[in-house]
Amino acid sequence: MKTSRVLKVAFKGLGRNKIRTILMMTGIVIGITALTLILSAALGAQDRIMERVKKFGLESMMVRAGAGQEMGQPTGGQPATTLSLEDAAAMKQEIMAIADVAPFNRKGQAEVKFQEKFTTTSVFGVTPSWAPVWDWNAVEGDFITDEDIASLARVCVIGPTVQKTLFGTADPVGEELRVGNVQFEIKGIMQAKGTSPAGGDMDDRIYIPLSTLMRRVANVDYISAIKIRLTTAKDMDKTAADIKELLRERHKLAAGTPDDFTVTTPKEVTKMAENVAGTFNLFLALVAAISLIAGGVVVANIMLISVNERRKEIGLRKAVGAQSKDIMRQFLYEATAVTFIGGVIGIILGAIGAMILEAITQMPMSISWESVTLGVVFSSLVGIVAGLQPAKRAAALQPIEAMRA
Amino acid sequence: MNNHVIQATNLTKVYNKGGGGEVYAVHDVSLEIRKGEYVAIMGASGSGKSTLMNILGCLDKPTSGSLKFDGVEVSTLTDEELATLRNRKIGFVFQLFNLLARTNALENVELPLIYSDRTDITRLAREALAAVGLADRVHHNPGELSGGQQQRVAIARALVTDPEIIFADEPTGNLDSRASLDIMFLFQELNEKGRTIVLVTHEPDIAEYAHRIIKIADGKIISDEANPQPSDAVQKISALASPEVDNENK
Repeated sequence: MKTSRVLKVAFKGLGRNKIRTILMMTGIVIGITALTLILSAALGAQDRIMERVKKFGLESMMVRAGAGQEMGQPTGGQPATTLSLEDAAAMKQEIMAIADVAPFNRKGQAEVKFQEKFTTTSVFGVTPSWAPVWDWNAVEGDFITDEDIASLARVCVIGPTVQKTLFGTADPVGEELRVGNVQFEIKGIMQAKGTSPAGGDMDDRIYIPLSTLMRRVANVDYISAIKIRLTTAKDMDKTAADIKELLRERHKLAAGTPDDFTVTTPKEVTKMAENVAGTFNLFLALVAAISLIAGGVVVANIMLISVNERRKEIGLRKAVGAQSKDIMRQFLYEATAVTFIGGVIGIILGAIGAMILEAITQMPMSISWESVTLGVVFSSLVGIVAGLQPAKRAAALQPIEAMRA
Repeated sequence: MNNHVIQATNLTKVYNKGGGGEVYAVHDVSLEIRKGEYVAIMGASGSGKSTLMNILGCLDKPTSGSLKFDGVEVSTLTDEELATLRNRKIGFVFQLFNLLARTNALENVELPLIYSDRTDITRLAREALAAVGLADRVHHNPGELSGGQQQRVAIARALVTDPEIIFADEPTGNLDSRASLDIMFLFQELNEKGRTIVLVTHEPDIAEYAHRIIKIADGKIISDEANPQPSDAVQKISALASPEVDNENK
């Protein structure tokens, strides 16, 4: 029997039993809609993590002063004083894999005032190399320059969050604001970067020349961290080891004593970000699995009932000359058509739902076509397998036995 | 040349009853049916006549015995060959019509053809429906047809593959006498054109249309005789002498 003919028979069969067809399809539609939504949410979360890791930089590392410093951890108590500008220069000079370094000093929780408005934010003392190393520059005005560093200039570049808080929609470039008791001229606005891998707002910052921060604001001779851009993402572990060896030597640490600095690689950043989202994803995976199984079971159930209901039809078809394989193919195509069409509808509804959810909750959504397709295939398979078994049994009967049932 | 459509030898069909007992629905039956014969298998309900017909029509398998269809031993055929045999050479008419619900007359008649390798399905189905007088009912669903019309659709379905033999199991069992007469007229016409017909019935007046009557009781043939004066449907219809000839086709 030709496939086109069986297909026609299958579609006619579906058309004859619209309620059953719709019920079966609804099961699949609900399952796949839920699956699409859930996977979109999970993938959205995953994407956000990867985005954060990318923000850290896949070809970059971070060296912080002090042992066991984690990213984003507030530096409570005495800040570590073990890292110097000379350390940064030495690393760039001696380690081949390092393309550039961006030493910086961070002063957390500084009070910033503009006229009557004020906010509390982090002040970063940075060098011009910050921009290429972080791939992060001013979008309006200019970033810190070498001249600013040399002249201990009282200039700053502000993050978009600070801009919003203090200036609203007004153009802040050229205005003066106060950090503590020191007056700074705003020379630029940083490009927005959003949330850090650790979850902090990377746009709630003010950047000033590192020299200005060290001598005029904080009066210190140490830096808090060095961001490193590598020439390649390869051999990250060896480069990290090289950095450690160099710093231990420079800091004259005896063998056996712990490091007085911390090296963070993208691997660690990824791990950290994944820990944040891990529980969430596990939960989503569970719900996705349940919705899939539910969809499959619905199809399986209705297929089972349908085949038993239609034993008479199977018997008649056999009596007029249908072969067992024709019967099997008819049921196979019916189940496939229902699950396929239901699956496509489910994907479309799920995608629309994901967009709506994203618009309402600001939760990032990202549709994973591969996993959604896999879901459709899986629930189809469950339905088909469940339907084929009884169809096979009915088709194997003598025609008259099937008709009698 | 073998002009037997069916040669059955010692056919037996045994059903196992609960409790280990056995029931012989068909018990050691041997019979032959020639091409062009019009045979009635008669018996009371439970006599095994339907079971016998199902076996002769290859809808069921005998427990033992031999059945040759067109000279071919049926038990040697695979399921696929059996399906092809049913499709090409046998037409069935059932008491309960067994039409597909929510499927129009045309599609019901097309049913055997979609399992054949014929391509002119719709034309053949229309011709068959025209032959049973339903040319104007092709797009009606069974629910929209009277019992007699439904049975005629079923006969068209049996005819459409141009089979060698038509088996009819109580074809008039669910019809009133007038509709029954129309059906018997159709069978008579088909037989006159050379079609072999095997009719299963418990009604003596229906069996009277056949040219040969086989009586069954307890799964055994108790008589097998020619009917020297079969009833004539044409005569009976005109004897009704009603001016409005066919109520159903109105």
